Amino acid sequence: MSDNSSLRTPSQRIAWAATVVVSTLVFIFLMAPILAIMPLSFSSGSYLTYPLPGFSLRWYDDFISSPRWMNSLKNSMIIGIASTLLSMVLGTTAALGLAQWKSRFKPLVLAFVLSPVVVPGVITAVGLYFFFAPIGLTGSYLGLILAHTALATPFVVITVGATLQSFDTNLARAAASLGASPLQAFRRVILPLILPGLASGALFAFATSFDEVVIVLFMAGPEQRTLPREMFSGIRENISPTITAAAVILTTISVILLATLEALRRRNERLKGSGG
Amino acid sequence: MEAGTVMPAPALVRFSGIQKTYDGEHLVVKNLDLDIRKGEFITLLGPSGSGKTTTLMMLAGFEVPTHGEIYLSERPIKNVPPHRRDIGMVFQNYALFPHLTIAENIAFPLSVRKSSKAETQERVSAALRMIKMESLAHRRPGQLSGGQQQRVALARALVFNPQLVLMDEPLGALDKRLREQMQLEIKQLHETMGITIVYVTHDQSEALTMSDRIAVFNDGIVQQIDRPDALYEHPVNSFVAHFIGENNVLAGTVETVERDYCRVALAGGGTVAARAINVSGAGASTSLSVRPERVAIVPNGSSGEGPNRLPARVQNTIYLGDHALAVLDVADNAEFMVKLQPGAHHSLKPGESVFITFRPEDCLALDPV
Amino acid sequence: MTNALLTGANASTEVPLKRRLRRAERTRQAKALALVLPLLLFLLFTFAGPIAGMLWRSVEDWEVRQVLPQTVAALASWDGKDLPDEKAYAALASDILAARAAGTIAIAAKRLNYALNGFRTILTSTARNLKAVPEPGTAKETLGKINPAWRERATWTTIKDAGGPITGFYLLAALDLTRNADGAIVAAPPDQAIYRDIFLRTFLISLGVTVLCLILGFPVAYLLATLPPGKSNLLMIFVLLPFWTSLLVRTCAWIVLLQSKGVVNDSLLWLGFIDAPLRLIYNRFGVCVAMTHVLLPFMILPLYSSMKAISPAYMRAAASLGAPPLTAFLRIYLPQTLPGIGAGSLLVFILALGYYITPALVGGAADQMISYFIALYTTETANWGLASALGAVLLLATVLLALVYGKLVQGQQVTGGMKN
Ligand SMILES: Nc1ncnc2c1ncn2[C@@H]1O[C@H](COP(=O)(O)OP(=O)(O)OP(=O)(O)O)[C@@H](O)[C@H]1O
Ligand SMILES: [Mg+2]
Repeated sequence: MSDNSSLRTPSQRIAWAATVVVSTLVFIFLMAPILAIMPLSFSSGSYLTYPLPGFSLRWYDDFISSPRWMNSLKNSMIIGIASTLLSMVLGTTAALGLAQWKSRFKPLVLAFVLSPVVVPGVITAVGLYFFFAPIGLTGSYLGLILAHTALATPFVVITVGATLQSFDTNLARAAASLGASPLQAFRRVILPLILPGLASGALFAFATSFDEVVIVLFMAGPEQRTLPREMFSGIRENISPTITAAAVILTTISVILLATLEALRRRNERLKGSGG
Repeated sequence: MEAGTVMPAPALVRFSGIQKTYDGEHLVVKNLDLDIRKGEFITLLGPSGSGKTTTLMMLAGFEVPTHGEIYLSERPIKNVPPHRRDIGMVFQNYALFPHLTIAENIAFPLSVRKSSKAETQERVSAALRMIKMESLAHRRPGQLSGGQQQRVALARALVFNPQLVLMDEPLGALDKRLREQMQLEIKQLHETMGITIVYVTHDQSEALTMSDRIAVFNDGIVQQIDRPDALYEHPVNSFVAHFIGENNVLAGTVETVERDYCRVALAGGGTVAARAINVSGAGASTSLSVRPERVAIVPNGSSGEGPNRLPARVQNTIYLGDHALAVLDVADNAEFMVKLQPGAHHSLKPGESVFITFRPEDCLALDPV
Repeated sequence: MTNALLTGANASTEVPLKRRLRRAERTRQAKALALVLPLLLFLLFTFAGPIAGMLWRSVEDWEVRQVLPQTVAALASWDGKDLPDEKAYAALASDILAARAAGTIAIAAKRLNYALNGFRTILTSTARNLKAVPEPGTAKETLGKINPAWRERATWTTIKDAGGPITGFYLLAALDLTRNADGAIVAAPPDQAIYRDIFLRTFLISLGVTVLCLILGFPVAYLLATLPPGKSNLLMIFVLLPFWTSLLVRTCAWIVLLQSKGVVNDSLLWLGFIDAPLRLIYNRFGVCVAMTHVLLPFMILPLYSSMKAISPAYMRAAASLGAPPLTAFLRIYLPQTLPGIGAGSLLVFILALGYYITPALVGGAADQMISYFIALYTTETANWGLASALGAVLLLATVLLALVYGKLVQGQQVTGGMKN
């Protein structure tokens, strides 16, 4: 707001120019890897260098026709969707409870619920590895789903909790005073208003699981390798252009998630503009 | 309290011995008996925290009375859930559904009642016409001004023809001019539609201009329920006298009581005659209440020995456009206000000694503050 | 008035009413807690339990106790001053024979070898050469003949120390410490004393990455907070898109960019800035670049929100009071961003401490952080005690920093509220 109006002295203008230049460089730094890898996936050559010898979709073809890659994509989807559903159930009920629960232990419980986000992945992974191996949960989908749910639920608790907190209980009362039964009030007023929050929570949960690799490294058998896990070995062994195709596919999924999230946020913002 | 002289129409709403506590320790509503007649515009007036919203919420069904019973058309409503009470409500922050358009908001009570499409459409258009917002039907609440949102909230609460409409400080968020305009509009709606309205405010002038009757709340107790003019002219205690309109207070002790009148020795010296409204008898302390417009200033040295004639000193005068005020030092009250004609304030000089007089019937002896 | 009546009515109803209300409140709270409970139980099973299990492993000592039970029992009363008595030798001989039959010698040998290099050979050679239970009274002599190490006190103290059930051995080892034959805590031998270096390296890389993030993130956050919302929302995409892109994708991209035939080297060669490709990856430089890239959004976002909360009125007030722009910035603006700087830096530092994937993929052998070794000891060498002990130290550091972070963020919310 004050960028132009307050730049009166030359030194201020220089400082502002420096900020702009440094920021531009940082933006380039942030975007460069993503932008650099995209064209390579369309290369017709098998070296990861520029200039590209030509355009082709052979690496995407390679990805699609490789049972290994396709299996990993399928695994990522299975584990991601299952842990999203489970974490939504657990996280939403917990957020509902936490919204009403008053106790001096609440900060403690909240810290505990959110701690999976902070604890280093390797520690969680090692702990789970020791804990799940004797009960046959390593090398199984169930083990991975449970582990990813633990990592994803904090995000659900945070987003759904924030939504519930900002929900105006007067709206539910208004619906009742206008003659809506509790069920009608829930379906027609409460649900449409908290749905974006629930959806954001689900997206966060899915993204968390979809991007997770440390736990998968420790716990997945050859059958359960996910897309990031496959990329991990791909990068370790040697980077073939197929990996860049996988990277582009993963990035596309991220962009879709991000765009959905942004759309939900916009919608929420627009609705919040009322009532004041 | 003031017994009705004519037997009124049967009450639409009757609060009977209502008590309410949230924490089990202190009563937010202490003992509420209140009849609301059909077609009446009744206002609950009182300072913040006096239990007005709580009373309204109990009537609407969002809070349960701790004790007592509320009757709607002579039927107890303890077990009737809010959505079956058929009571329209305008919330303080309007509570318009942000995800629905204006038209959808107004149609909501009709559609949950499964009205036919044609009827819904017709009544929604009528309601929009009533609030003069046909052109904004497809906007969302977030795109409206405060006053427009207020109108929509009103239309939504009225569109299903509820037997009773509750309004909790509906104009609290509006600026003064818009507030006054909306007061008129609401009053007009009340008159043309013949609905019963329970209105909550802590703005006394709003209450005075709009209401048929006002219930003055303080500390969980209804201090007085009466017509606006009766409240102003015949307050039953110091709180009401103080809360409604401008008011001068003089502390004193009752000397003698004679039927409706008493003689009071002022704490600051002198004695006056006053109407005995709320005094227990000779020897009791009391506070006298005198309205600024019922006091006359007589210049020093002028003749005449009125019954209530007290020496005063002019502190200063305040010009207020349509009238002026003189601030006097009278007995123990250093901020005694007297209403003057606009020109009259020039003749009073700060520091000047004058006399004030008022009629005994304009001076009320009430409970000590 | 009616007041007297009223208080009378209250007095008679107040007590049961209060109790009734309290009971209703308790039921409500119990219901609320019941909703949280499933998640708590779930996390107990999938998170807290496993981590507690790991912590237990860092102090548990079961191998020797299980494989050589009689020896451990016999050594319980040994004072450790001289060699143990004949009874202990006899117990050892019998344990070794039993363990050979059960095939469990290697388990104990591995554990004892951690404590004393060469113990594996002592135990396996003894197991190989011990033909039968020695005649009563000859066990000491027989074992001493098979391997002279049995005549040394240190051999026996090692067994006694490893006798369990709990031990400080792994935790001490994680800090480059050990117990000598007399039980005193001393520095570990140099060839085993590598963990302090690794912790220091982890700390330095995290610190470096944090500082880099702060230097790069501050101007960006400032720009985003100062620009009008339309522009800043657009530029925010450049921060959020990398943030949402898979870690593996970004790491992979950095390899493509930085490898010797990568995009950066090619461009530099083409431009003539260098004659031979620079080594930009599989070293500390690559680790720092990739980690900074991954963690930068975690710095920018808290900084941005703390800067966004600073009303421009403060700077205008400072200017109107005669402060030149730089002074106003340093004395009015910067102090108000400190909570944001603190929160962002701590967050980045905490996350960096536990990093595993990025250093593992773009670092050289000398750039691996503590998580790498935890993983290594868990999956490759199966030295679970040491892996757990290193994990315990890392967890402790993380938890302490997270507590500080929690306090900081909480304080920020309070002041943030007061600013409005
Ligand atoms: N849900 C609640 N839980 C506990 N106490 C409450 C609750 N709602 C109101 N109170 C308390 O009850 C008292 C009366 O509140 P109420 O909202 O009825 O006042 P009010 O007259 O509407 O005031 P205002 O003019 O400020 O709106 C206050 O002291 C308030 O703190
Ligand atoms: Mg209120």
